[in-house]
Amino acid sequence: MPAMRRRIITMAMITSLYRLFAWLSPAFPTGAFSYSHGLEAAAAAGTVHDRATLLAWIAALIRVGSGRIDADLFRDGYRAAASGDSAALAAANRRGVAYRATAELALESMAQGTAFAATVGAAWNPHPPTLRAGVEGGPETGEGVCHAVAVGAAAAAAGARLEDALTLYLQSFASNLMSAGLRLGLMGQTDGQRILAALEAVIGDAAAASLARDPEDFGAAGIAADLASMAHETQYSRLFRS
Amino acid sequence: MPVGEPKLGVVITTAGGLVAGDRLDLAVRVAEDAAAHITSAAAEKVYRSTGATVRVRQHLRVAAGARLEFLPPETIVFDSARLRRTAIVELGSGAGFLGGGILVFGRRARGEAFTAGLLHEVWEVWRDGMLVWGDAFHLDGDVAATIADPAGLDGAAASAMLILAPPDRDPRGFIDAARERQQRSALPGLRGGITVVSGLLVARWLGADALLVRRAYADLACHLRQAALGLPPRLPRLWQL
Repeated sequence: MPAMRRRIITMAMITSLYRLFAWLSPAFPTGAFSYSHGLEAAAAAGTVHDRATLLAWIAALIRVGSGRIDADLFRDGYRAAASGDSAALAAANRRGVAYRATAELALESMAQGTAFAATVGAAWNPHPPTLRAGVEGGPETGEGVCHAVAVGAAAAAAGARLEDALTLYLQSFASNLMSAGLRLGLMGQTDGQRILAALEAVIGDAAAASLARDPEDFGAAGIAADLASMAHETQYSRLFRS
Repeated sequence: MPVGEPKLGVVITTAGGLVAGDRLDLAVRVAEDAAAHITSAAAEKVYRSTGATVRVRQHLRVAAGARLEFLPPETIVFDSARLRRTAIVELGSGAGFLGGGILVFGRRARGEAFTAGLLHEVWEVWRDGMLVWGDAFHLDGDVAATIADPAGLDGAAASAMLILAPPDRDPRGFIDAARERQQRSALPGLRGGITVVSGLLVARWLGADALLVRRAYADLACHLRQAALGLPPRLPRLWQL
């Protein structure tokens, strides 16, 4: 019964998308709004000062910066959880915790990862068992939770397609930076949406590239963005935690 | 060997540089409570490649209570070179480490830039068998665009990174003086930053001129070896330019 089967698959896809939208929404309590990923320092230095420079900054982070690393960590977290391999999930999470260029970028990923795993565990059913075993080490083990790996694992447990989930993850990362740019007064609401519209192709390409990437090519070249994050640690006046 | 200095080990590339397909494995092991300083005799050159990749693996093991300084001079990556290099640092309890590297993008003295090729450099620090910190620098594809990008390498001719694991001390105790020292060597065309992450102090630079990066890197290395390792604030002679 092909018609019936198609309908069942569609329902499953809608359920998984429902969960992803909830988990990646700014309303999900990870405190995403409080992080600028170094943008606040780049704005203070004048490197990012309008719609064009913010679009270029976000696109670079996704193509060759920390977003490239988080995309691969998300992918690895998803694949480990999808195959029920909690050892691989723990290894991906450890890597995600370790590969942080600065104190504030580590805080941004760990604080959100911990809040994400705790909230999904407390409020969403079924709680992905591999997420609990492999990522949510919790205070007993002292292990941190990498946000990208945790969301990737949860997306697999929700039955989402990796390509969809990773695209939405990168979109939420871009959207959060755009929103930080709005609050820093870099541009207005409509220009903010123009940035997101222009990033559609960048994010689609980045997700596809991560899925096809040789694991040996894991890495980034966003050193100037990392320097901005370091500068933010000593910035005098700050709205954001990163 | 000057008084008060640890044993000095000098790595020599007799071929004058690394060519496509070369493989180099370096294993360093510092025994319990021992101290060593490893450097190279000269800047490492990585020549252009038509396809094959140079692979360098560096495995640095520092046993409990031991100290290792790993401070080779810069690596000059010729245009269209292909290099994959990893440095795995394994630290025993109370071990100290000060090390890093400088990358120069193209033979700048000849007006050459690094516009195509592959540059992949990984640093990992392990403590008691667990990965605690990692950094993977990856540059390929439209290399010139990534180097020029304000979020990428911001037009730099050279970059550097210096990592400090102070023996039995919280690295946060060194950050204020290190920042002050780094800012003192600040010059137009040179950008730097310092953070403390995963129990390590990590300093970075981007510079429009490789010499500026080299000087700032050597200056902070001298400061940190004195502050954190109790050694004289100087580096081997080859650093004096």
